[in-house]
Amino acid sequence: MYRVQSFTQAYIQAPWRKQLQWIGLFLLCLILVAMIAGVYLSVSARTITIGREIQGMYLEVEEAERAIENLETHLAGLLSSAEMRKRAISLGFHPVTPEETFYVVIPGYVKPEQVVLANSPGRTVPSAPTVSEEYTQSLLDWLRERVFEPAAPLLQEERP
Amino acid sequence: MNTEHQWRFTTLGFLISAFALFIVVQMVRIQVSPQAEDLRKRGAGNSGTWMTLIPARGQIYDRNGHLLAGNVTVYEAGVDLARVENPSTIALALNAVVGADYEKVFAAASQPPAENAVYATLAKFITEEQKTRLEQLAAEMEAAYAGSRVAERPSLAGLQFEPHLQRQYPEHDLASNILGFVNWEGEGYFGIEERFDDELAGKPERVWVSYDPNRVEEIPEVPEGTGLILTIDREIQATVEGIVESAMQESGAESATIVVMNPTNGDILAMATNPRMDLNEFWNYGEVFEGDTPFNRAISGTYEPGSVFKVLTMAAALDSGTVKPKTEFLDTGSIEVGGTIIRNWNSGAWGPQDMLGCMQHSLNVCLAWVATQTGARQFYAYMQNFGIGHLTGIDLAGENPGRLKLPGDSDWYEADLGTNSFGQGVAVTPVQMVMAVSAIANNGQMVYPRIVLSMIDEGRQYNTSPRIAGTPITANTSEKLTEMLATSLETESSVALVEGYRVAGKTGTAEIPTPFGYTSSQTNASFVGWGPVGDPKFLVYVWLEKPTTSPWGSVVAAPVFRQVVERLVVLMDIPPDEVRLELLQGQ
Repeated sequence: MYRVQSFTQAYIQAPWRKQLQWIGLFLLCLILVAMIAGVYLSVSARTITIGREIQGMYLEVEEAERAIENLETHLAGLLSSAEMRKRAISLGFHPVTPEETFYVVIPGYVKPEQVVLANSPGRTVPSAPTVSEEYTQSLLDWLRERVFEPAAPLLQEERP
Repeated sequence: MNTEHQWRFTTLGFLISAFALFIVVQMVRIQVSPQAEDLRKRGAGNSGTWMTLIPARGQIYDRNGHLLAGNVTVYEAGVDLARVENPSTIALALNAVVGADYEKVFAAASQPPAENAVYATLAKFITEEQKTRLEQLAAEMEAAYAGSRVAERPSLAGLQFEPHLQRQYPEHDLASNILGFVNWEGEGYFGIEERFDDELAGKPERVWVSYDPNRVEEIPEVPEGTGLILTIDREIQATVEGIVESAMQESGAESATIVVMNPTNGDILAMATNPRMDLNEFWNYGEVFEGDTPFNRAISGTYEPGSVFKVLTMAAALDSGTVKPKTEFLDTGSIEVGGTIIRNWNSGAWGPQDMLGCMQHSLNVCLAWVATQTGARQFYAYMQNFGIGHLTGIDLAGENPGRLKLPGDSDWYEADLGTNSFGQGVAVTPVQMVMAVSAIANNGQMVYPRIVLSMIDEGRQYNTSPRIAGTPITANTSEKLTEMLATSLETESSVALVEGYRVAGKTGTAEIPTPFGYTSSQTNASFVGWGPVGDPKFLVYVWLEKPTTSPWGSVVAAPVFRQVVERLVVLMDIPPDEVRLELLQGQ
């Protein structure tokens, strides 16, 4: 009996060692939580930054669209029928008469039938998703893909 | 750890726990308090803003892709009331640069800011140049008076500019009668702008735009309005408008209208009339179109067409087998139909004539006889099949159906059959006549006039198809009548003839009805013609209202037709008949 007691006493851990273990375990959990919080904070910050950039880009797109409309209309004014006629006359041209017209047969020439300013419905191709996964996937998905599956490449390299 | 320390730690733990508990209790209290709902609403209200996304109005092009109606950026000037320092300066600046009313701007900018009054609109539709000038003024004032301690220092602080798009017409008055215009409120008036207002304007969306960057993808994209490609050819339209102006000057007419259509597919290549207005200054509409002046006479101006209508009368008679080109008629100078005596244009008797002679000399007596031989029932059935008295369905706002009295109508008399046969007592529009005559030019197949060639919606182009309105006459009748009309022009050496090109056509001179009866001093002079015979590419309709140099269509309208065709053959790359036939033989 004495032998058993002395054996147990010999292997029992000292109280300070137990405390140290608990402290270590607590610190480990704390570090893990801090890591997750850090990663979450980093991802959130990036998402917010990108979101703000997208908001800014929306405004830029609106401005660009207005600028395009302005330029198209301005160009149409510069190339308007009256302006072109004025410029042609100033360069010494005059409207051609039927008597001055010569007709030459050009083999293979086909007069264009109709102006095409946009694709016809039959010629469209399915559009690819435009929003990157980083902006749509959840944090858990992101962690699963980038942290817990180390085989997955961190950066997608462009392939030739 | 001794007892003293334990007591301190216990007290500190208790205090911290009590503080934490207090925070939790306060949080719960706020959540369930009577003001909670109001606070939640305020929070939600500050998390974003309601915005009305107005799509850009669809653009309008001619058949070759030239822009006829586009958009430019203009600005709305307003003030952030909380930032206004000197309303008087703002009012003065807007008055000087934009021409805004000083008193109104001053009153608007002087409003004290409140929960429901944070912004005031001061002026609309400010151009880029005006905005730049105002911004320069603001910067100059800021630089000059930044350190000033004067209570009311000059300042444009609070002035803001909100951009938006406004309709602009780079060709100014070109095709203005076809296009119509868009007013300050963005509503289309007349022509294409009114007819396709909903499609061109697109669908504005009122959306909640969150300030939260995480919800940025929730902002919807509003597609711009549907774009239109018209059948109009800009160069032909400009040329024909020039001819309209010169025709009015030369003939002294009150108005002139010319319609050019491809008779094989109904494409309206040009539709010119007067008056025209610079669409960028649409506010002048009332001055340009005085009284009941139609915006587009080609579709809304009804008139008695006169002898050009004989083409339809003869088509009906030939097609029904009532007469043949060689059928003889003895013209004694008058005929009685329903108790009314009908005479020729010169009141003369032309003796024996075949149908070619009747058309060549435009004999009212002969055509009235032809109509009576055809019979009222059959005659009016043909006229209805030609679309007379009905809308053509052209894609322009404001079309007038005209008027064709029919047997059975309370105001129809037997005499109307006689007068209708030569185009009196019937009201038509030029576009109606163009559609009817297309049957004769196009082997019996009448085509609907078409003004919209394609629609562009969300990046896709949808082309329209030509539509056949009916087959009122056979191809054989069409061929016979075309030959008769081409020969009659050649025989009388008409001024409508174009060297190198065989054309068919008919003049028209109609007396204008007044409250005191018809007057021969005021006429409507017309000409309808098409060509080249055998392979028609164009159909031209000319209408001169009340010409003063001569009342006759053969004198004032026929030369206008020739002028139009001489330009058309060049602009449409139509080779002379000789070259065309050589090419056909070579194939």
